[in-house]
Amino acid sequence: MFRSRRARIRSTVTAIAATGVLALTACAGGSGDEGSDGPVTLDFAFWGNDVRAEMYDEAIAAFNEEFPDIKVNVSFLGFPEFWEKRQIESTSGGLPDVMQFDYSYLRQYSENGLLLDLGPHLGEGIDTDPIDEKILDIGVVNDTTYGIATSTNAWTLYQNPKLLESIGAAPYEGGGSWEDYTDWVQATTDAAAAAGQPIYGGTDFTGRIQNFELQLRAQGSYLFNDDGEPGFDEDDLRAFWEQGAPFREGAGVPQQRLEEVYPLSGFDSAITASELTWDNFGAGYLGNLGEGYTELLLVEPPITEEGAKDLYLKPSMLHTISANTEHPEEAVELLNFLVNAPEVGAAFGTNRGLPASETQLEGVELGGLEAQIQEYEESISDRLGDPPAVPIVGYGSLEEKFRVIGTDLGLGVVTVDEAVEQFFTEMDVVLNQ
Amino acid sequence: MTNAATATPVPPPAVVDAARPGESRAGGAARPPRRKPASRRENVAGYGFLLPWLVGFFGLTVGPMLISLYLAFTSYNLFTDPKFIGIDNFVRMFTDDPVYMKSVGITAIYVLVGTPVKLAAALGIAMLLNYRDRGSGFFRSAFYAPSLIGASVSVAIVWRAMFANDGPVDSGLNIFGIELGGWVGNVDLVVPMMIILAVWQFGAPMVIFLAGLKQIPRELYEAAEVDGAGAFRRFRSVTLPMLSPVIFFNLLLETIHAFQIFASAFIISNGSGGPGGMTNYYTLYLYKRAFSDQQMGYASAMAWVLVVVVAIIAFVLFRTSRGWVHYSGDSK
Repeated sequence: MFRSRRARIRSTVTAIAATGVLALTACAGGSGDEGSDGPVTLDFAFWGNDVRAEMYDEAIAAFNEEFPDIKVNVSFLGFPEFWEKRQIESTSGGLPDVMQFDYSYLRQYSENGLLLDLGPHLGEGIDTDPIDEKILDIGVVNDTTYGIATSTNAWTLYQNPKLLESIGAAPYEGGGSWEDYTDWVQATTDAAAAAGQPIYGGTDFTGRIQNFELQLRAQGSYLFNDDGEPGFDEDDLRAFWEQGAPFREGAGVPQQRLEEVYPLSGFDSAITASELTWDNFGAGYLGNLGEGYTELLLVEPPITEEGAKDLYLKPSMLHTISANTEHPEEAVELLNFLVNAPEVGAAFGTNRGLPASETQLEGVELGGLEAQIQEYEESISDRLGDPPAVPIVGYGSLEEKFRVIGTDLGLGVVTVDEAVEQFFTEMDVVLNQ
Repeated sequence: MTNAATATPVPPPAVVDAARPGESRAGGAARPPRRKPASRRENVAGYGFLLPWLVGFFGLTVGPMLISLYLAFTSYNLFTDPKFIGIDNFVRMFTDDPVYMKSVGITAIYVLVGTPVKLAAALGIAMLLNYRDRGSGFFRSAFYAPSLIGASVSVAIVWRAMFANDGPVDSGLNIFGIELGGWVGNVDLVVPMMIILAVWQFGAPMVIFLAGLKQIPRELYEAAEVDGAGAFRRFRSVTLPMLSPVIFFNLLLETIHAFQIFASAFIISNGSGGPGGMTNYYTLYLYKRAFSDQQMGYASAMAWVLVVVVAIIAFVLFRTSRGWVHYSGDSK
């Protein structure tokens, strides 16, 4: 109960003021900038883990030695969560100033005006001399440069020599047909069983869209062209998934075991002796395998037709700048440093792939796995073809759908025909959205 | 000061006090008393204090719901403008999306099996706690604790570790020669595992059951005992009817709650809904459609189907409750 008129007025004003303050507090976002004359704060986001976070801390510390007036707020998430967050931010124009960026999303973000046109900064802020023209072209969509590739990677077949030795099996030599590789996996799994060890030769390769792409490219086709049209039909996909039957019948690791260790793979859980993947995954594999493992082997993946140009160099990641950044000049300084500085190369090694910039590559101590990756990429030069078109809008979700259907096949909850139908239905939605 | 009150006869205070909202006053001619200026100011102050909630309610609940209703009839990928497509999202859901139908199926199993088992466990433990007072505070807290932390990320992680291959549960079963290779990756066992996790969090309904049990007059049990009723008969003829309003309340709440399962499924499957889509519950699939696949229009349609289904189930429960819920003073 109010005691007086003054008290009543005071209470009313307090209520309205409190509402106003709450509203203003809610509205206030602020970048934490100290003004255009003072230090500038940039938000930088990447996907990765604690290991990569430490590397970025080191890289940003080196950046701040050179640019003490640019403060960098760093944040990171796992890969799926990173993109979920970016997608929400993109609807409100709140993307971070500088971002580690995946090739799969480059077209989607650039065509929707969310990324800064880097063209005016090439050679003027972004040092392009140490980067090969072909690698610079990777970040171009519709004749405009939106991203700079930090590094390249290529598809490879990793093997674990320690596991192979423990079961007395010989490594796969590389190349050969997909049937050859399947036979080797079966033989390795059998050898492990004979040695009484719960180890398998490999994982069903038909669960990865990249292996399908490799087979399509060997036949002169592609996954999707620039116009977003698929380069395969239902029969192609059915034939591909049917190649996984021996794996599902016991040659490879059972899908249930993989579900138990997910999000790790069979390879970095020391369950499988081989895995087809990108060559920059080696450092992560060794980290996850633990101290007992110091060495990995890289060989060429199987090939559908000898002499085919089915492999290609892909950016393992790019760096981009938000179109809405309030500090494009400073953002360019940061991007250039992350792409070209030798200190960054020294901090990362090949964690982000083999550095694309010569100056950054000079900072990398190429020993052990780093040297192996470089040698591997050189060794496949005769198998490297032109890179495919920049991935279509929605490619990221199709890649994930492919992986999920692959696991469903492995678990036996869908047939190959159902899997094909599901993928084409989903593809139809994505392409026509 | 203009005094209208002096111009219009005011009914005697006793009459005014006797009038209740909705009742007509004696004589019918008397006008309601004019609102006093002080009361109006109180209203302004009241609305002032309410304003933050009102802003939140309309800005964060009603507004988004209306936008979501519109988006349910569009194709919207978060990047380009929504494209109106009529009821295509709803048609696709029921005719062209096997993953959706599977998601509906496993959610229905979770609700239909998990909720009754959870309520039975809650009632059973509540009756045990009600039986003896000694140490009941400790046991009440101990049994309630899982509900407090049940939806947390840490519990889901621990649950995953417990039921994983070579985890404590799997190792325990191995001792008896039962080798399942873990529950987390097993298509047949992950559903029971999720239901066990839900049942384990029975603390909240248990506390409500306990409060209800304490309200049942002891004389009723004594009278039933004198009449020769055994324990089961007393439970069936005294406990259940007297507790029926509480059972109804818990049933309604837990059913709605079960439809909303998300966090545990997300953590245990690492967001994948696996193995084989067996943890791809409705809300998790909805989330993936919205934020992983960028099909916000489709996800909105899914959300509205869920709202309608839950509303229908709540309505049916209310209607059927007339036949089995007994309130004090009820003639039933």
